[in-house]
Amino acid sequence: MTDLIERYGKVEIDPITFRVLGGAFTSIAKEMGYVLYRMAYSSLIRETEDLGAGILDARGRLICESDSTPMHCGSMPFYIRGILKKLDGQINEGDIIIHNDPYAGASHNPDVAIVLPIFHEGELIAFAADTAHWLDTGGAVPGLVIDVLDVFAEGKIFNALKLYDGGKLNQDVYDFIKGNIRVPNITMGDMEAQVASCRVGAERFLHLVKKYGIDVVMGGAYQWMDYSEQMLRKEIAKLPDGEYSEEGWLDDDGRNRGTPLKIKVTVRIKGDEIEIDYTGSSPQTVTAFNSPFEGSTCVGAYYIIRMLFLDEFLLETPIPQNDGMIRPVKVTAPEGTIYNPAFPAACTARFCPNNRAADLVIKALAPLMPARATAGNSAVVGAIAYSGVKDGNYWIYVEVNEGAYGGRATKDGMDAVDTLLVNARNNPIEELDWHYPVRNMRYELDDKPPAAGKWRGGIGVIRENHFLTPAFLSSEAERASGVDLPHGIFGGHQGYASGFRLNPGTSGETELPAKVEGRPVAEGDLFRFTSPSGGGYGDPFERDPALVLEDYLDELITLEIAERDYGVAINTLSESVDQARTAQLRATRA
Amino acid sequence: MKRAGVDVGGTFTDLVLIDDDTGSVFLNKVPTTTEDPSIGTMNGVREMCAQAGISPKEIGLFFHGTTIATNIIIEHNGAKTGMITTKGYRDIIYIARHKRPYNFSLQQDLPWQKHALVKRRHRLPVNERVIAPDGTVLVPLDEDEVRQAARKLRAAGVEAVALCFMFSFLNPAHEQRAKEIILEEFPEAYLSVSHEVIPQYREYYRFTTTCLNSYIGPKVSRYVRNLGSAIRQEGMASELHLMQSAGGVTTMAGAIDKPVNLLMSGPIAGLIGGIWAGGLAGYDSVITLDVGGTSADIGVAPGGQMRVKHLLDTKIGDYDAMIPMVDIDTIGAGGGSVAFVDEGGIFNVGPRSAGSYPGPACYSRGGTEPTSTDANVALGRLNPDWFLGGKMTLDPALSRKAIEEHICGPLSLDLEQAALGIIRILNQSMVHSIELNSVRKGFDPRDFALVAFGGAGPMHACEVAEELSIPTVIVPPNPGNTSAVGLLATDLKYDFSRTELTLTSNPNLQKLNADFAEVEAEARERLGKDGMTGDEVLIRRLADCRYVGQGYELRVPVASGEVDQENVASLSESFHSIHENEYKRRFDGWDIEIVNIRVEAVGKIRGVQWQTLGRAGIEPDAQALNSKRPVTFLLDGQVKQMETAHWAREALRAGNVISGPAVIEQVDSTTLIPPHLSGWVDDYGNIIIEIGRKGA
Repeated sequence: MTDLIERYGKVEIDPITFRVLGGAFTSIAKEMGYVLYRMAYSSLIRETEDLGAGILDARGRLICESDSTPMHCGSMPFYIRGILKKLDGQINEGDIIIHNDPYAGASHNPDVAIVLPIFHEGELIAFAADTAHWLDTGGAVPGLVIDVLDVFAEGKIFNALKLYDGGKLNQDVYDFIKGNIRVPNITMGDMEAQVASCRVGAERFLHLVKKYGIDVVMGGAYQWMDYSEQMLRKEIAKLPDGEYSEEGWLDDDGRNRGTPLKIKVTVRIKGDEIEIDYTGSSPQTVTAFNSPFEGSTCVGAYYIIRMLFLDEFLLETPIPQNDGMIRPVKVTAPEGTIYNPAFPAACTARFCPNNRAADLVIKALAPLMPARATAGNSAVVGAIAYSGVKDGNYWIYVEVNEGAYGGRATKDGMDAVDTLLVNARNNPIEELDWHYPVRNMRYELDDKPPAAGKWRGGIGVIRENHFLTPAFLSSEAERASGVDLPHGIFGGHQGYASGFRLNPGTSGETELPAKVEGRPVAEGDLFRFTSPSGGGYGDPFERDPALVLEDYLDELITLEIAERDYGVAINTLSESVDQARTAQLRATRA
Repeated sequence: MKRAGVDVGGTFTDLVLIDDDTGSVFLNKVPTTTEDPSIGTMNGVREMCAQAGISPKEIGLFFHGTTIATNIIIEHNGAKTGMITTKGYRDIIYIARHKRPYNFSLQQDLPWQKHALVKRRHRLPVNERVIAPDGTVLVPLDEDEVRQAARKLRAAGVEAVALCFMFSFLNPAHEQRAKEIILEEFPEAYLSVSHEVIPQYREYYRFTTTCLNSYIGPKVSRYVRNLGSAIRQEGMASELHLMQSAGGVTTMAGAIDKPVNLLMSGPIAGLIGGIWAGGLAGYDSVITLDVGGTSADIGVAPGGQMRVKHLLDTKIGDYDAMIPMVDIDTIGAGGGSVAFVDEGGIFNVGPRSAGSYPGPACYSRGGTEPTSTDANVALGRLNPDWFLGGKMTLDPALSRKAIEEHICGPLSLDLEQAALGIIRILNQSMVHSIELNSVRKGFDPRDFALVAFGGAGPMHACEVAEELSIPTVIVPPNPGNTSAVGLLATDLKYDFSRTELTLTSNPNLQKLNADFAEVEAEARERLGKDGMTGDEVLIRRLADCRYVGQGYELRVPVASGEVDQENVASLSESFHSIHENEYKRRFDGWDIEIVNIRVEAVGKIRGVQWQTLGRAGIEPDAQALNSKRPVTFLLDGQVKQMETAHWAREALRAGNVISGPAVIEQVDSTTLIPPHLSGWVDDYGNIIIEIGRKGA
């Protein structure tokens, strides 16, 4: 069977139908995401929305994606390609495939994909697919793993298994999964939601095909890809050809504490194409702190290029995310390194290296595109798993904590928000306290002042959770050691490290590293997380004094900081800027 | 009884007066007096009463729909607001759900941070803490801190205060005590208390909704009081009733107490008006299409029932507002929607609008970009000499020039193709929205009639209906006043709720029964104050349920009377079916959690009787023909110009049949009937157009 793109790629479509198809694709993907999180069971999927959904063509080219977590959405093409490696030619109508093998395109073990092939007149034309972060896949410890021997210790591997075969549930596969995971009732409910989401997607897509014809729908899909590609190329071509490198450091691999790992990105621009090269980054680690090349490293590279060059906020009309966005981008990472580990290395804890690499790409290109860049972002993930056994059953709760953005050319960094490849939601406190033996005691902006700048860095959060029973604590995070802080640019100050502490302010106070795995905690222990902040943009002495006053009144900075870092004196009685003393302070430093 | 409905919009105030004794109806339309809308309102009322030969004093029920609450939020000009909250949770409304609106953007703003409803300096934490699951007090309320906080906010010149404690829906004692203290220290503040505004879990949504209530409270109260006193001064027998976001109306006191319930007041009156018009023509299930200058409001009412949005999907502008809200979709598609070709060669229409100034190019007010109105002028569908009943003349040359320059050039299309393209793309955005709200929610458009109103709705309705295989289009007699009529076609309706969190396998029947009894008493008392008793009062019980472990609830009806095991069993069965309908899966035997209970209290009000037109033959009166002009259509993919009759709506009589192609002109709207269709006028003056069933 020929590739559909050759048959339909150049079909002539009138501009109006073309526009209509674009809207229809977007709404199908959105609806798939909606069905998944509204119906799901685990708070990680239904509240946090750690998921992705969309439609891809028969070769795994992305047609449309939901507005969910970018790392999930971006990885779907590689899941499909991994499935095709094993099942090409053996996929039948009525099949539903489950897949999570990180050495066959999966993003990492717990992000499990459900994929439903879509047939038209007996021919495979597309896939409805979604991925969702399962609370547990039966790995070495509940929830998150870091310090494990290999990929087999991370969880069960489902390599393109048929959950449904020709419309019939494969009961053995179902029972095997259910019998080998720690919270089967919740997770199997999540899986049902994933199946429902795919069914809705397939139904909607076939409805389009029925209405407009296969040639027009597939032609429309391919021509929207060409459109997105063309728009991205146009923007890349505006930058001068050249090679731009940046380096940074990660805390450690989760086992060898105190040994930082080097990361390096080189961005090469040539005409309307761009290459992200990870050569020079650390060799692969002995733990799970590695990034699967296709399902994670490439996704991160494609993501940040699209984000920088086609910033949705700055566009007059939306440009859809699809296969076209990855065509002008080449990704290189030598095998055996942290960004391209060799089988059977473990590779679950891949988020932080990728978010940090994305931030280095911004740093490398900032001098060329200062109006589109940011100062250093927190650029990590604060994934924390709480778990235990209660009444003979496991409970697992995973939260994705936010960070903060660096300052920007015309505005401050965003406070307390997910950064870059993470874009999930928090779990309501009133939900957490209700359902788990954990009680939150504090969730607000961190006490530490923001990084100074003409446009200040964003502020992170502080979160304190109290354990009501003995439990296990796992954390997949970064930037606690201080080896590499969120950078300031153009004269802005740098941001803060993240913090992980047990029982702060008591005699039992213990500082933890950012990566911990299955650490036992006692009833009554209190865990405090603080996220890294964002760096400042531009010289803080050029910050509008009125904005400095606002930050003082909002109790984000002290009088002393206003004077020392910004050269702004404040009259506390009248709550106004002391213009004369400010002029004096600012002149003195100059 | 004599009843008046007044719908205050951005540009016009629409009024309707009904005399139940004589069955006569009077309509009026006056410019909105933006500084104080009560002036325009009262002028309009006096004019209308004079026309009817009655005194305003005789008006027994006065209904009002307004966009004021929505506009305050969209324009960010609410009151300086303070917040007193639980220590440790100062920034809940500022962190929100920590998800960015755009996935791919470094330069975006987080609207809830850029325009925080309450500045951080005015968000004051105090020591107190109630805990799950039973509302036990973990940290006692520090009353001194509340007192200090109230004084501090007062000194800071705050006008409104939101009181938001964690888990207050489980045990409101701390909020109740703090409320007393705040009222002692700061009696003139506009105060909203979270468990009173919305006693439900999920702190971010409850806090934000409470802050919104305070933020709009002072302005809305002043507005409502102004209007209330204008009505009193006029000597009107009625008190003021206002349309709410959940449908139904509230009193002046209710609006001052919970102004957050007035959000979407305007569009909902439109939907009710559409349901009413459909009912008049004999159609229960309707989709309403209200198209104005900048936006289109779309509602779907199966069986004439408005549907309520999921509480977590209710947003106003940039904010999440957890209030019961009728499901209405507003999209940026209207007469002023601008057509353009972007950098990548993509043909777009809207959501940007040219507004009234400069407006469409043909207005000759300096606008150069083509709009959908220009496309309709270029195609001959809008008569340039008959705009607003001839009060305004349009310049077709400017329409053509704008389309040629901005669309024909870049896309190599001829004028007709480009203009038809503009209409098709605009229609598609309406089609798309209707699809999202019908097909995608399990409603088949072939079971509905499309009721089209607003200035531009009847122009686009037939093409939209054809695309969706909707078999019937109804154009009400006065498309521009449909919202005002809707105000008179509604009931008094209040909504009450409590959080339960109990399992159907082991329900806390005692609490369920006690809570239902309590809120029903509250509901009856409320309706009693409106003078509603006996048969006029209708109480409906509902429960928000989910499978144990799910995070989002579906709404299920609950039988009246004592809640027992049997009731719970039938509730479970209903839930399984509703879940299956929504998500295509059901899980019999799985345990179900009852998250909230709700009571909807309805006070029945007499509907709207409409006058009938005189009967006449099939052929319209010759005098009804305004002109014959060429109009351009797309027929089987071919662009064709056809000689088309333009009729005067007011001269049409019941029984008249208008064969397409035809254009029907009236002061506030224009109806288009395409070549292969025809419409007839029913006894009430509705134009009914049957669309051939396609693909059925």
